[in-house]
Amino acid sequence: MPVISPSAFAPPASGAANDRVVPLPASLREKVRRLERSNSVRRRGRAASVPLGIPAIDALLPESGLLTGALHEIEAGPAPSGRVAPHDGAALGFAAHLLGHFGPGTILWCRRPTGTFDAAPYAPALSAWFDPARLLMVTARRDEDLFWAMEEGLRCPGISAVVGETRAADPTAGRRLSLAAEKNGVPALLLRAQPAPPQSVCATRWRIASAPSCSTPGLKDVGAPRWRLELKRNRFGTPSAAETPSWLLEWNDETHCLAVVPEALHGSPGTRFEERLVG
Amino acid sequence: MRLADARALLPDLVTVAGEPQADLRLVEAIAAWCDRYTPWVAIDPMGGAVADDIARACSTGGFGGDAGLLLDVTGCTHLFGEGEGESGERALLADLVTRLARRDLSCRAAMADTAGAAWALARFAERQADLFCPARGQRDALAPLPVEGLRLEAPILETFLKLGLRRIGDLYPMPRAPLVRRFGEQPVRRIDQALGRLDEPIEPRRLPPAFRTRLAFAEPIGRSEDVAAATSRLLAALCRQFEQAGVGARLLEIALYRVDGSVDRASIGTSRPNRDNPKLMKLFEEKLGELDPGFGVELMILSAPEVETWSGTQDALPHQDSPTVASGMDGTIDLADRLALRLGPENVVRLLSRDSHLPERVQVAATVATKPAAAGAWRRVASLKGARPTRLLQRPEPVEVTAFVPDDPPSVFRWRRHAHRIVRADGPERIADEWWRPRPDGSRPPAGTLPPVRDYYRVEDDDGGRFWLFRDGPYRLAANGQPTARWFVHGFCA
Repeated sequence: MPVISPSAFAPPASGAANDRVVPLPASLREKVRRLERSNSVRRRGRAASVPLGIPAIDALLPESGLLTGALHEIEAGPAPSGRVAPHDGAALGFAAHLLGHFGPGTILWCRRPTGTFDAAPYAPALSAWFDPARLLMVTARRDEDLFWAMEEGLRCPGISAVVGETRAADPTAGRRLSLAAEKNGVPALLLRAQPAPPQSVCATRWRIASAPSCSTPGLKDVGAPRWRLELKRNRFGTPSAAETPSWLLEWNDETHCLAVVPEALHGSPGTRFEERLVG
Repeated sequence: MRLADARALLPDLVTVAGEPQADLRLVEAIAAWCDRYTPWVAIDPMGGAVADDIARACSTGGFGGDAGLLLDVTGCTHLFGEGEGESGERALLADLVTRLARRDLSCRAAMADTAGAAWALARFAERQADLFCPARGQRDALAPLPVEGLRLEAPILETFLKLGLRRIGDLYPMPRAPLVRRFGEQPVRRIDQALGRLDEPIEPRRLPPAFRTRLAFAEPIGRSEDVAAATSRLLAALCRQFEQAGVGARLLEIALYRVDGSVDRASIGTSRPNRDNPKLMKLFEEKLGELDPGFGVELMILSAPEVETWSGTQDALPHQDSPTVASGMDGTIDLADRLALRLGPENVVRLLSRDSHLPERVQVAATVATKPAAAGAWRRVASLKGARPTRLLQRPEPVEVTAFVPDDPPSVFRWRRHAHRIVRADGPERIADEWWRPRPDGSRPPAGTLPPVRDYYRVEDDDGGRFWLFRDGPYRLAANGQPTARWFVHGFCA
């Protein structure tokens, strides 16, 4: 059974007798956990992880991709100037990009609408990443209902991914979601319009802010969407050189690929297509 | 007689205000309780409680005084006695009277082949033994009863009495043709209905479900575990009925008949015909918690008011593009049913596309029961349009703008008390109102006028935030020199 025992998170016991073996169990535990996780995921006939198609990011992630049986958090970060993000359109775009990568099947999308100021995901735009006919939209009045619906969705064999849009940060609910995701090999995404207290159990946490796009030379038009992506937490992955690795991404709506814009070439349109990588 | 006259005659007369509505509610409650005997229960349209006219109701005995219920117990009597015959009918009648008497309700119940005969016997039979009319014995049973038992209109009744026709039996030897010529066809019809020569349909209070199972308990049950176990047994029996008939349930209703005479009901709906016992039981488990057994439940009835033809295990061939989505064979439909039961059916939806140019009309929410969108329907819609926002506001929010040139995209807009300086803009994309469609209030735009238009711009502020703005109509100056067009933000782009 792929159940995380609570003692797995406990600090290693510091007794004189097992001082020598302390480093070993930690790595062993991690090894066993990985075996368990990939086993439970493969038993359901799914891949253990899904590569994002961006080598620079995939290299940092465990099993060189986004784990399918795990909880991932995506939050809209503040704008480059430090102001609070006016909206989470970019975070939604990135979430939709991830959803497009998780196999076929219904996508359960749970929301808590905010009255008359509510802005629902708009299917014509989402169709760039996946077929909106796959969506099952659920509206919940309370956060408990939202987390319950997400958990039910994770247990359903026909669901390929579960998305929850909420401002609530409930550690117990987060842990339950993470366990359900791990057990069934179905990814759970938490989408937040504002940075919230982090879920301690999520496998990855991403922060996305829209970045200024690059106009056609000589014009003042809106270019391809650019996002500033930060990997705030990477639980099972490889540590990177930077404390929080960060990339500037560009989504090309015509070729349907997400690629890293090299920072040095930032804004010089003549060369920005050379480093394009298929996503 | 007036109340004042009555008081003059009898000064210590006790008076109570009439409560026709309360009487009607009581009769309806008793009718609901009678569902335990048969699903075919009707409130007697001739009874006092349902008469609209207060004066008429008072003259005929007052509200509730002669209120009646008609029960069609065909095929139900074997549940109460041994065999199909008379013993079951007698047992049902006795059970009905005793149970009502136990609740301090005085009643007279008669059993006969026809509703008309039972009506007359219940009101005018003189001996207790006459209340049960054996099969095909209504002619003899009715003969000694007064003609009031024929449910005739008051003028006809008066004439009959004047002519000395006091008993129903007096009318039997009369030639029919002169009777019709003299009194109209009502008396002859009533006699034929009472004697069973003419059919008299009873309109049931609730449409009886085609599929129904019942479970009566020797001892009332009160624990929720017992209720759940009984539901499970009823469901198993009902699912066998479904299999034989080749149907599946769309709506199921469980009714708990409590010992205090009240009835508690709960229902579950499914988005496609279902006869899978474990799945339906899972749906019921959500609802059973809301049911209150009260002081005990003596009878449970599970019925299926809505069924549909069941097309077999494989509902649809999987789509080529999305093999598991459209078919719903992968448990998604069951998940949607479970979610809809707790959150409400309108809160669990699929998104369908609609051929429209108006951004807010493109996306339609449809309940899971509706047919899913064809694969690729969205791709076609999306390819027709320009760049669209990832989020669309429920209602566009007005913004204050500053523009150097009136027809240009604004240079600054103020939304939710924050100023956004625009550095890049795409547009305009002009979207006109659909003049061929009536407005929400039902009116049509007058002929010869231009339909309202919106000019959409995709803009980016100096922070990189991308918005979808529109100007409500082309730029024009009003008489007072103020521009007429207003600006709105309608969506957020990726």
